[in-house]
Amino acid sequence: MSRRSDEYMRGVPMKPYDLIREGLIALGIVAALVIVLAIIFSSPNAPTVRGEDVAKNHPLDYLKTATDFLSGESGLESYGPPYTKDNENIQRILGPGPATVLGVTMPLDAQKDLVIAPLDKVAVLNKDVAAALKVWKSASEDQQKAWTKAYSDALDKAEEANGEVKVAAGEYGPVPIMMMGMLDLGRAGLLEGALTSNERLPYTLDNTKAMLFFQEDVDSSVANGYDMTGLQWGITHEVGNLPGPWWLWPYAIWYQIPPLTTAPNADVIVGSLMVLFFLLLFFVPFIPVLKHLPKWIGFYRIIWRDWYEKQEGAAPAAKKPGK
Amino acid sequence: MSMTEKAQGFVKDTLTLDDALPTKLPIYVNSVAYLFGVFTLCSLVMVILTGLILAIFGPNWNHVNATGKFFHSLHFWAAQLFFAFIVLHLSTKYFLGAFRDGRWKTWMIGVLTLGAAIFSGFTGYLSAANWSAQWHSVQAKDAMNAMGVGGFFFTTNYSQVLTLHVALFPAVVVVLVVIHILFIRHESPVKPYPAKGEAQI
Repeated sequence: MSRRSDEYMRGVPMKPYDLIREGLIALGIVAALVIVLAIIFSSPNAPTVRGEDVAKNHPLDYLKTATDFLSGESGLESYGPPYTKDNENIQRILGPGPATVLGVTMPLDAQKDLVIAPLDKVAVLNKDVAAALKVWKSASEDQQKAWTKAYSDALDKAEEANGEVKVAAGEYGPVPIMMMGMLDLGRAGLLEGALTSNERLPYTLDNTKAMLFFQEDVDSSVANGYDMTGLQWGITHEVGNLPGPWWLWPYAIWYQIPPLTTAPNADVIVGSLMVLFFLLLFFVPFIPVLKHLPKWIGFYRIIWRDWYEKQEGAAPAAKKPGK
Repeated sequence: MSMTEKAQGFVKDTLTLDDALPTKLPIYVNSVAYLFGVFTLCSLVMVILTGLILAIFGPNWNHVNATGKFFHSLHFWAAQLFFAFIVLHLSTKYFLGAFRDGRWKTWMIGVLTLGAAIFSGFTGYLSAANWSAQWHSVQAKDAMNAMGVGGFFFTTNYSQVLTLHVALFPAVVVVLVVIHILFIRHESPVKPYPAKGEAQI
């Protein structure tokens, strides 16, 4: 052994050991376990939420989502970094929010990028949409807001039947035709393609816009059905009975505890707690109470019970001759 | 003393062949608790092997081919076992006070390995191109953005997430595990706490 090991192990009884044999046996056991688990339980693979499915099966939700983005008042408009400059809604802890450090690194104009840009493509194929879009673009901002507000209110009272949405008549301007253009785009299965279209096509290296489109009500509704929302232990849950990343429970648990269940800055608080806990774990060998806790708890006596039986059994016997 | 002689002295002091490939162990290493580390390592080997096969056939293999689906399942369960064993390994090492007698570096590198593995597993979940990946991507972005990490790590950007999962994080985990194991072999297993009536060494 090395000089250091020799010194440390001096006087400690040793036993024979075959490291490679033990390693190969362990690998065999783990490999067999992995194969058996994979055969019996497979792995999670629930289908994604696609624009086509939402447009065909839940057109009202689809229209509400698109109209929300068209209004220019969606949550993404005032999200803050990395999408927008608006810092009003960023999560803060003890002063400025960490999100402001890098600022806007993925600029996103929800109205333009998630609705108008896809409709510009639809307009090439559909003259009605092209005309409606022209009216929209030439209207004042106040007029646009009035149309979308009226249409959005009407959608709240609208009915959905056989994949169609019936909206009461009203002063909506070009909005209904534009939204029908968006709905047809989705029904054709082209929404995600239009959203991820970029100057590097045929490569679509960043699918963020397509991911963000249904992130609010639609995705949340699906997640709720699978018990996967933040209040249902979020990321630690997987579809069905398969295990998710259960090892993240020390993170997910904070979202179940008031006031973090509803705190607007829960993410930054929980994230900061995780950094703190990680540092505590990292520095365990130097933190007074934590480094002595294993000795006080005494669990080690179970693991080393053979050793202590020999040591403590031998000690009185060794003293006998001296008596 | 030449540089080579200094190197020889360093190896003799720190990691000889007897340390690297031991043929004897102290008798107090006599519990199933000592197997969690090697099981963690074996799970990591399985994660890497199945991950390499998945990488060769591409990220869509899982969704279009039964064999691809099976290898994805192997990768999934290998990762599950890896985390089960690493949690058991870390817990038992804590309760043994295995960071004593100058073994703090081994402990710290182990904790760093856990941290890197968590991000490796996290990006793996986001790379599966299924509903769970989709949902967790949009959920996780809020946490990342709130912490300021979202300025460069976009959980909704599949290309970035997949690249991190198959390249950066596994490399970090493997490097840390190699260093961790070298320290373990160099230091030998920590001695038990003193028995009753025995003085603290």
